[in-house]
Amino acid sequence: MAAVVRVRDLRKRYRRQDPWAVDGVTFELEPGQAFGLLGPNGAGKTSVVKMIGGLLRPDGGDISVFGSPPGEPRARAQLGFSPEDPDFPKFLRASEVLDYFASLLGLDEADRRRRIPETLAFAGLEGERRQIRQFSKGMKQRLGIAQAILGRPKLLILDEPTADLDPLGRRDVRALIESLKQSGVAVLLNSHLLSEVERVCDDVAIMAKGRVLREGTMREVVPEGSTLEDVFVRLVEVSQPQRDHMPSFITEKEPRS
Amino acid sequence: MNGAGAVARYTLIELSRRRILLVFFVLGAAGTLLLGVGLKVLYSLSGNITTNQDPAKLQKFLELSFLSDLYGALGIFALLIAYAIGMTAIYHDLESGAAVSIFSKPVSRLAFSAGKVVAAVAALIVIVGLLALEARLVMLLFDGGLAGSLTGEILATMANSVVVMLLVLALSTWMNNIVAAIVAFVYYNVITGVISAVHGLADSGAFNNDLVKGVFDVLYWTVPHALVSSAPGDLVRAQVQLSNTPRGSQTFVFIPAASGFGDIAWWLFFIVLFAGLVYLAVRRRQV
Repeated sequence: MAAVVRVRDLRKRYRRQDPWAVDGVTFELEPGQAFGLLGPNGAGKTSVVKMIGGLLRPDGGDISVFGSPPGEPRARAQLGFSPEDPDFPKFLRASEVLDYFASLLGLDEADRRRRIPETLAFAGLEGERRQIRQFSKGMKQRLGIAQAILGRPKLLILDEPTADLDPLGRRDVRALIESLKQSGVAVLLNSHLLSEVERVCDDVAIMAKGRVLREGTMREVVPEGSTLEDVFVRLVEVSQPQRDHMPSFITEKEPRS
Repeated sequence: MNGAGAVARYTLIELSRRRILLVFFVLGAAGTLLLGVGLKVLYSLSGNITTNQDPAKLQKFLELSFLSDLYGALGIFALLIAYAIGMTAIYHDLESGAAVSIFSKPVSRLAFSAGKVVAAVAALIVIVGLLALEARLVMLLFDGGLAGSLTGEILATMANSVVVMLLVLALSTWMNNIVAAIVAFVYYNVITGVISAVHGLADSGAFNNDLVKGVFDVLYWTVPHALVSSAPGDLVRAQVQLSNTPRGSQTFVFIPAASGFGDIAWWLFFIVLFAGLVYLAVRRRQV
């Protein structure tokens, strides 16, 4: 099966004096596969997905999305991208944002009339008349996911999609991923919520300091009798200096007056 | 250029909902109306006292006063509107993170830049055009025969404002929008203003130092030239006519001539240059 995304020895740093934010990342994603990219804060997960989306320029390595470089509109035509902390033109309404993005996706009038209300309903934003600047973080997150699926993508990138969602919203996103997988869509999921990733992803890569520490199918990465969280903590703690988890003043006794 | 139309359309919708532009427009419209009506009322009152004035001359004088103030005010409002549009049209998309969602769609950076530039220019033309329309209606109060000068002056004001707006638009893609506005102001309104003013003075023979004249001749062709309509000349001539100043007077020497083909071509060059800078800045931008 032809890979949807092929990433080879990907490297990125933001300033010359900085350490590599992404350092030699390699993986492939096939149709119908859900791939979880895990890692602590600053591991380089968002940089990886932004490079796949053509939003950041890599400093080294190769990326191909549907056989094209990621910066090309042809590659992005089949891509849905839900960013971390999504935002939109703040004086527009949710329906206008979707209409705007439908135009950028080149959807015709009939498709727009069908898809926009359905996508708004999926996101729980039907009938919402307020402008984006009045939206809560959760509402923006739901709109972020809605705009990502609007063009019926063959590759869906979800960067921390459930961070600001309530339990019902999280359940909807899980159901969405399951349903997209079944219809052959490749899903790349960036998340801190290990239980979510464990439930929906077939393959997983654990990153820290820009490098992939372990990669494979869920069964290969998580041995019998263990959980993804156990594996994650073990791997990440080895790669990072030990931290005193509690500030000393927290455990100090209050002086008696 | 797929998507440029959508970018332009929704940028215009966004701009139309920005309060700052509405405030500038309302202030400009109210100011124009107050200026016209105020002058009319004031001079009607004084006209009742001094009845020995020729009514036609008085009307012309009133219109002249109105236009002199109006052109100054319109220039300032157009500039404010140009800064406001330039500071917000692209910057907010980039800073809020909206650009991440937009650039992940199959729209090229060229189409995005073109859409933004078209929307910004259209917004400026519509707002200044509406103020001009109002000014034309207010001029019906006077009927002093100077209405013809308004069109040229409005076109020149719009053209000059577009240059500043594109500069701010390009700079705000590289840097903070307030810093961009300050840099643009220093470049266009201070440095360019001084160079153009000194060049104008040197050209009119105000000083005879050939070296200074030569230096400013060169500097003049490194900065954008503010386009000048025939209106300032028309106003001075009308004023001279009203005050019966002799034709050979020194006053005529300092009337700025209307911009010629060279200045318009130079303006066009800067429009293309600054629009190109907007595209380059957007293309380089990582989000």
